[in-house]
Amino acid sequence: MSDLANPPTAAPPSTLRNLVLPILIAIVIFAVVPAVLTSFGRGYFWQIANIALIFVLLAASLHVVTGVAGLLHLGHAAFYGVGAYTAGLLASEQGMPFLVTIPAAAIVTAAIAFLVALPTMRLVSIYFAVATLAIGQMIYLVLLNWVSFTHGPNGVLIFSGLEVFGIDLSSPIATYFLVAVIVSASIVLIHRISHSYYGNALRSLREDDQCADAMGVRTARLKMEAFVISAAFAGIAGALWAHTTGYISPSDFDFAESILILAMVVVGGLGSLPGAVIGALLLILLPEVLRDVGDVRNIMVGIVMFLSILLLPKGLFGEVSALSMIRRQFGDAWRRDENGKGIGWR
Amino acid sequence: MSDFLTIQNATRRFGGLVAVDDVTTRVDHGQLVGLIGPNGAGKTTLFNLISGFTPLSSGDVHFKGTRLNGMKPNRIARLGIGRTFQNLRVFPNMTVFDNVSVGAFGTHPQSALDALRSGSKRAETISERVWQALERTELAYVATDLAANLSYGKRKYLEIARALAMQPDFLILDEPAAGLNDSETLELANFIRSLHADGLTIMLVEHDMGLVMSVCERIVVLASGKKIADADPDTVRADPAVLEAYLGTDE
Repeated sequence: MSDLANPPTAAPPSTLRNLVLPILIAIVIFAVVPAVLTSFGRGYFWQIANIALIFVLLAASLHVVTGVAGLLHLGHAAFYGVGAYTAGLLASEQGMPFLVTIPAAAIVTAAIAFLVALPTMRLVSIYFAVATLAIGQMIYLVLLNWVSFTHGPNGVLIFSGLEVFGIDLSSPIATYFLVAVIVSASIVLIHRISHSYYGNALRSLREDDQCADAMGVRTARLKMEAFVISAAFAGIAGALWAHTTGYISPSDFDFAESILILAMVVVGGLGSLPGAVIGALLLILLPEVLRDVGDVRNIMVGIVMFLSILLLPKGLFGEVSALSMIRRQFGDAWRRDENGKGIGWR
Repeated sequence: MSDFLTIQNATRRFGGLVAVDDVTTRVDHGQLVGLIGPNGAGKTTLFNLISGFTPLSSGDVHFKGTRLNGMKPNRIARLGIGRTFQNLRVFPNMTVFDNVSVGAFGTHPQSALDALRSGSKRAETISERVWQALERTELAYVATDLAANLSYGKRKYLEIARALAMQPDFLILDEPAAGLNDSETLELANFIRSLHADGLTIMLVEHDMGLVMSVCERIVVLASGKKIADADPDTVRADPAVLEAYLGTDE
């Protein structure tokens, strides 16, 4: 019998050790990146950093529904668009403050996702994928053609500067910090959802939903929740996009955008949250790094995607290794395996 | 004594085929009942009628006073009926621990909001239940292995561990001995007896008579969808109808 048969051998929760990784990441996001960008001193780089963060959130939100719960979602960009238009219209036409438009975007997007998911959730595999494709196209066409409400192809200009509690945050560095704080907070929430017993239940839907059903898991309800949670975070990403670019138009949220987000999740590693983050950073930053080589860069990005999926079909940071790393950091600290790894979730 | 599981005139038709034909039987609390029959006798269909995977054409199934007709499998599971699958259905890309946690989650769910909190009481209870089930099935030492990497025999126990983590009142095992060799079957028989000794009510669905005869106190025999015998092992073994169903006329 191993020691495990005789728990609890209550190893004291080593809080300090658990904080090493999050602190390192926080230092990179809130100190290293701003310092480097300041030394470049160009507004353009700040905008790239914001876009990268927004796509990190988009990929992380798609990770919940496609990576963890295993539902192939081909219309994610449409929910991103709903969030952007909600925030953009509320700010430019109702004069709503920034801090109100963010939760408003999340709630409106979640509500629309809930309504369209009601009839869709019974569908499985490829049929679900086609249904989400149709939902994405419908939302896109509404944004494009409901001219009196969305201004159609002309898009929406958002003039109201970024203000939080009366403090002007429209300088590049302040905007970056604002985006970074909201994206980081959202990622922490997504991390808790995917790395918990709730997340395990979502994974069981992907593995064998009939079997999960026999265990007592409310499969239909959980799929719905994953879809709605994912949409809510896409809505937040949309609101950040609207506020940081100051201009939104339907073409920002078309099918190609859904596929780009899906590619980030797949290249990074389906089911892996760090993978989704890495995939997003790669596919946003690579074209920028390759800017000097001209139009060939798009082909090069394609080649990188192709090679990564060919050589690493489980992704750059696959689910198994990602989960074991995260478990080491955030796993159930009061019971450990012989290597001192936390096993369950807290 | 109040009713545990009662099956009244259960019938299931697939087109012209009557897979389960007017079966009436019951399982009392604390029993270890075998359900046997030759291939195609309707054992798995009857099992699926109880667990909600196949709807009844007519008849009734009650569990602890609740009528199960038309209920979804997950609702029946939450009433306290755990099951395993004949053709081994573990979650291959999840660890042994995570597999079992789904069973605990099924009957003791954690909401998305609760998952946001670190150190929630719900998560702790699920951890406890998973460890208990892993220790009971002696799988604790492979807790962090992927289910896909387990041996065939271990995966059988993983399925049982997952069902045990549900803390069911009634456990149905669908052909647990299929694919096991003699010594593994013997070990499994002892394990099933020990679960029963702990007070769990168990129904064993088996194609092969050996395991059932050795562990069950009561045996229900199906042939061509009909119940042809329902008695203790010795009586069933001597029953001419059972012998005919198993041996046929050409053997």
